[in-house]
Amino acid sequence: MNPLLEVDGLVVDYGRARALDGADLRVAAGQTVGVVGESGSGKSTLGAAIGRLLPRQARVEAGEVRVAGERVLALRPAELRRLRRSRLGFVFQDPIASLDPTMRVGRQLRLVLGRTGRDDVAAQLARVGLDADRVASAYPHQLSGGMAQRVAIALAMAASPELLVADEPTASLDAQVREKVLDVVFALAAGAGTSIVWLSHDLPAVARRCDRVAVMYGGRVVESGPAAAVLGAPAHPYTAALAASAPAAAPPGVRLRPVPGRPPVLTGPSPGCAFEPRCPFAEERCAVERPAPVRVGEQDALCHRAADLTGELEVVA
Amino acid sequence: MRLLLWWGGRALSSAVTLLGISVLIFAALRLMPGGFAETILGPFATPEQKAALAARYGLDQSVLAQYGHWLAAVGTGDLGTSMISRQPVAAELAARLPVTARLTLLAVAAAVLAGVPLGVVTAVRARPGGGGGAGRLLSGLGVSVPEFALGSLVVFVVSRYGLQTTGYLLPAAVLSIFAISATARTTRDAVLGVLVEQHITAAVARGETPWFIVRHHVLRNAAGPVLTLTATVTAYLLGGALIVEYLFNLPGIGSYVVQAVGRRDYAVVQAGVLLAAAVFIVMNVLVDLLVGLVDPRLGRRA
Repeated sequence: MNPLLEVDGLVVDYGRARALDGADLRVAAGQTVGVVGESGSGKSTLGAAIGRLLPRQARVEAGEVRVAGERVLALRPAELRRLRRSRLGFVFQDPIASLDPTMRVGRQLRLVLGRTGRDDVAAQLARVGLDADRVASAYPHQLSGGMAQRVAIALAMAASPELLVADEPTASLDAQVREKVLDVVFALAAGAGTSIVWLSHDLPAVARRCDRVAVMYGGRVVESGPAAAVLGAPAHPYTAALAASAPAAAPPGVRLRPVPGRPPVLTGPSPGCAFEPRCPFAEERCAVERPAPVRVGEQDALCHRAADLTGELEVVA
Repeated sequence: MRLLLWWGGRALSSAVTLLGISVLIFAALRLMPGGFAETILGPFATPEQKAALAARYGLDQSVLAQYGHWLAAVGTGDLGTSMISRQPVAAELAARLPVTARLTLLAVAAAVLAGVPLGVVTAVRARPGGGGGAGRLLSGLGVSVPEFALGSLVVFVVSRYGLQTTGYLLPAAVLSIFAISATARTTRDAVLGVLVEQHITAAVARGETPWFIVRHHVLRNAAGPVLTLTATVTAYLLGGALIVEYLFNLPGIGSYVVQAVGRRDYAVVQAGVLLAAAVFIVMNVLVDLLVGLVDPRLGRRA
């Protein structure tokens, strides 16, 4: 069976800057996938491209996005709207800004439910843990960030989409609220059989909640596989460096190891591996030859040396 | 309580503004070369004749004393008497208000009915880099061509071909060129500003159609600047579309005040300017209330 989401060799430019440099991603029906990477690695561009929601100045130079076999980037406007309505859901980083500031929450929900012929605003709010009496007549600016994000989740999940793309949905929330909001997202998705693509900075949270992890660097997915395998026994040197720099990965008292150097700023295709300047294991060919995917254990990695490095990459110092 | 404070503050600042304007117009009129007596009696009047006339209207007193008398009278609702027609100014203005109001209504209706849809459509159709070239040029022209130039041209062309220049349609059309252009530009900019907001992206992501999004999520969010502009244009026209009324010989407040300036009919000019200022202030308060109703984020501050 075909996967629900297939992204193949996607290349996206913003003016002269290259945001995606040949990104690949596969998500099966019902799967939860965490997409991790530093700021600027292309996570948000990849997420937006799934719904063809790229900003106007973005240009798709190459590649393909398919949702349930439909070529998203080639659809006519009406077909694209049908795909977004029936199969896709999106949750964004800033919850209050993603609600209409001039409309009461209940009415916004009713507009979305109206399409499916329902009117159960209170039930939809209860599903995300909100009390309709308090929330339905409120305007977005009267809600806390966590409450607003629950409303946004209710809007995105109202039509039970097959795929939910969540772009750092908890980045702007307090630590205590984060886990609860994520609980809501994952519980609703599990109930509806919805796949999740969760763009995140939070490696430990991704490890706990997701079936699979995709690690992005320099506009490509450099490693993907089952969450436990990728984060426990990385196949790509960048994954190992990223995991070692995560605060929760280190035991108390142990100094964190930041990834040395700076993330790349691409203006065209990377000639070799984008991580080569920062990679302790780089060889000559890493600078001049683009790595092709290699299968290492359960993971796919874009690394010339992935096979030799098996077992050498350690997460914790 | 806070609401009461807000209204109190608004009333106080309005009163201060009106007072300041009355001082300005009073001073400006007195500083103009050629007083009332010279204008009425002509260049060959004797000093005695002028003095007698000035004494009759109290113009021989100091400017400060004149201002004091006038202000006290205005405080009781008496706008004074026209020195030319000997009629109460309030009655004269009231008689001319319907003409100005009708003209204003026509021009503002045209501005809203044509300008808002034009602005919305050009904003939604806008493409990056396109900039809306032709539309921007046209509306730019509409905003910047002066009324006296366009009005004179229309009067010239129409009278040249022996057509009627009476009625409201032509002067309203001249006024509405500016009003439509300004409304269309303001609407377009406001809609473009809303279209880049995150909640619009969220609506697009939900698969809503462009016109559904415009109707439910754009119009109300973009209404603030458009309402403010409409109120300003309305107040401006209600105060008397001076030049256009004059050009088309419409007996409205504008042409009345312009005539009064020429004849140094102080009481009429003072009352006319004060009325225009008061209309501006009232429209501003109204639009603040309205914008607060349209955008709940602003409405809660009072």
